[in-house]
Amino acid sequence: MRLSELKPGEYAIVRDLLGKGPIHQRLLSMGILPGAVIRVVRTSPFGDPVEYEIRGFFISLRKNEASYVEVDKIIPLVSVPPGSRVRVVLVDGGVGFMRNMDSMGISPGQEITVLRGCCPMLVETARGKFSIGRGIAHRIFVR
Amino acid sequence: MLVALAGNPNTGKSTVFNALTGLKQHVGNWPGVTVEKKEGWMEYNGKRIKVVDLPGTYSLTSYSVEEKVARNFIIEEKPDVIVHVVDASNLERNLYLLAELLDLHPRIVVALNMFDEARRKYEIDVEKMRNLLGLPVVPMVAIKGEGIEELKREIVHGKFNPRGVEYPEDIEKRIKALEEKIREMGLEPARWLAIKTLENDAEVIKKLSDIGARNILHDAEHLRHEIEDIYGDDIESVFASVRYSFAHGLFHEVAAPINVGGANITDMIDHVVTHRYFGIPIFIAIMYLAFQFVFLVAAPFQDAIDFMFNGKDVAGGHIDGLIDISYAWMSSFMPDWLASLINHGMLRGLGAVLTFMPVIMLLFLILSFLEDSGYLARVAFLMDSVMKKMGLEGRGVIPLMLGFGCNVPAVMATRTLKDENERRLSIALNPFIPCGARIQVFAFLSYIFFPENAALVLWSLLMLSILVVFILGYVYSKTLFRGESQPFVLELPPYRMPTMKGVSVHMWEKSEGFVRKAGTIIVGAAAIIWALAALPWGVEYGGEESYIGMLASLLAPVGYALGITPEAIISLFFGFFAKEVVIDVLYVLYGSKDAILAAMTPLQAYSFMLFMLFYTPCVATLATIYNETKSLKFTLFVVVEGFIVASIFAFAAYHIGTLLGVGA
Ligand SMILES: Nc1nc2c(ncn2[C@@H]2O[C@H](COP(=O)(O)OP(=O)(O)OP(=O)(O)O)[C@@H](O)[C@H]2O)c(=O)[nH]1
Repeated sequence: MRLSELKPGEYAIVRDLLGKGPIHQRLLSMGILPGAVIRVVRTSPFGDPVEYEIRGFFISLRKNEASYVEVDKIIPLVSVPPGSRVRVVLVDGGVGFMRNMDSMGISPGQEITVLRGCCPMLVETARGKFSIGRGIAHRIFVR
Repeated sequence: MLVALAGNPNTGKSTVFNALTGLKQHVGNWPGVTVEKKEGWMEYNGKRIKVVDLPGTYSLTSYSVEEKVARNFIIEEKPDVIVHVVDASNLERNLYLLAELLDLHPRIVVALNMFDEARRKYEIDVEKMRNLLGLPVVPMVAIKGEGIEELKREIVHGKFNPRGVEYPEDIEKRIKALEEKIREMGLEPARWLAIKTLENDAEVIKKLSDIGARNILHDAEHLRHEIEDIYGDDIESVFASVRYSFAHGLFHEVAAPINVGGANITDMIDHVVTHRYFGIPIFIAIMYLAFQFVFLVAAPFQDAIDFMFNGKDVAGGHIDGLIDISYAWMSSFMPDWLASLINHGMLRGLGAVLTFMPVIMLLFLILSFLEDSGYLARVAFLMDSVMKKMGLEGRGVIPLMLGFGCNVPAVMATRTLKDENERRLSIALNPFIPCGARIQVFAFLSYIFFPENAALVLWSLLMLSILVVFILGYVYSKTLFRGESQPFVLELPPYRMPTMKGVSVHMWEKSEGFVRKAGTIIVGAAAIIWALAALPWGVEYGGEESYIGMLASLLAPVGYALGITPEAIISLFFGFFAKEVVIDVLYVLYGSKDAILAAMTPLQAYSFMLFMLFYTPCVATLATIYNETKSLKFTLFVVVEGFIVASIFAFAAYHIGTLLGVGA
């Protein structure tokens, strides 16, 4: 789906950038490239443009520009309801953080089950049951 | 020694620049473009070092004027050191530009600005960053002056062993191959040129093809396709990914996030001020209060300046001002006409420039406050979809709003628009917004002619002007000013409390620029108006026998068609000089308020006001328009469009009104 189709509060991971030339380059230089996580913050009074958060900063894009961004919708682990079984898409952090998570069986591609909602959350992975705090649960994205 | 400041917009570059150079700075334009260039000098251990502030950019591609200006300066002027001003609270994104700079220049000092804000988000290991980069890294809080001395020391004594950006082997190999060939041709900086050629950078490729480096371009194309095939993506994305991995990697190596709970202040403010329903009313309320503030504070200063130059009529006489005194003195030893030209012409012109100053300075104060606090970006966000209809981006609303105060700073404020075409469109529309001086005249005339409905009449004029701006904007953007629509990507920075120093430096720069650049034009125009009103020598100043009077009677038939009396035409000539004098001139020519009331019907008065609403902007505005566009043709266009719109409205109002038999 396209970035322009998402609603405020939703998250997505960039899959591809369409288009060429200035738009393409402007989006790239703002950090919008495959793999980047984007949150839809709010829409302006007339619905266009829309504010997004990406890599910790905030930008506004018109619908037209946002429609050049092909994305997949993702969900931060923190908002997954108890009882759901989900697949990890992304662990957002440095090498150390990713290694830690991996040792708990939380890495892209793995399936996990949420036993108790936030917070702290209780999840069951291939490696066992783990308790996860809010800060960390915000940096794990699932589908 | 030459130092260049580079960095993203909004990282505190200006603040660092001001801290380095103090007030020893010069503001001008980069050659050929309307991007501001700031130069200054800093001193260190008795050394005088030149500092140039490059335009704020997110990257160094050839897609925008700012980016081209910044990189070409680095390539052509070869600064000894680049200071990369980084917003440390937004480290990862800022490091992207560092990746680009590293390809371009070996001696970079990284200024980790906003360290105070960064400390609240994560702990940054500065020493590790120095080691990983092989460059001096200086944490600083520019608004408090922290780190400035260390920055100066590193600029002069810093050690540079840059590690650079590591490209994946299959790309590095190809960069090297191309770099070799480029170096053989004697082109520098070879590595950067190689990278940019591979990246398909339009400007670099054009340069190479201009000097006939066919084989290099041919090789590059081949290598580029190989890379694109390996990575299965277009070349721009491939290079951007490499730079982001660099930024991402470095960021996570040196920064350890501190878990910050609780609400984010910026988000809380935005929740209110960009609210679906309240956002726009809040914006209008803020602007309304800002204008109240400007006019309240400016009025006494304006009165004082006016009194100083023109003196004052008081019961039973006239207190002499500077002009009267200097005229009396000069005419004792020079021909009367010369003394009159100097004093009644030029000195009065100077007085007019200076009476503008309080309003202009205060409007700039407001503007820099809005800009530095971060609110301006929200306004752009709120208003974008409205402004888009008139071919402008959201920020275009600001110059139009400022126009209600004074068109001079409004025209100067069009610089916030990045696209040249939009900037011109915005300048062309601005004079149709009635400035404070015109509103003052309208208020006065409405009150005389429509004592019952003065407010309604005034409102009708304001609404009409907004309508005209909308319609013209819509039409222009589809015809005369049609341009490629630029991508509109706007950063919404966190709210910050503007500093007194930052705001006042900005205000001073702009206002001083106005006096210096527009001042001479205005004084010159004042001399011309004087000549028209005072010659042939000996006639009553501005009377029927003067050139202005003759012109007015020549134009009487036109005026007649529009319902405008010859005396009113004369007042419009003077109004070209400064709109608020229209009332004074009418007073002088007619003698009294009752005589004015007797000379025109309410309908005529209304069509006169309509004409005055739209006809040519005043000379100060025109001088500013010329300065901002450097185009006589464009300036003339603004005058002509004004007269056309003014005539249409005055004509229509007068004749429709006559037909309907209203206001006779
Ligand atoms: N907290 C904090 N704020 C700062 C610091 N340095 C600058 N600021 C503020 O950041 C805002 C932007 O600063 P500027 O110096 O105008 O930034 P700039 O990079 O020149 O911005 P542009 O003119 O948009 O390119 C202002 O409100 C400054 O007061 C700092 O070290 N700490």
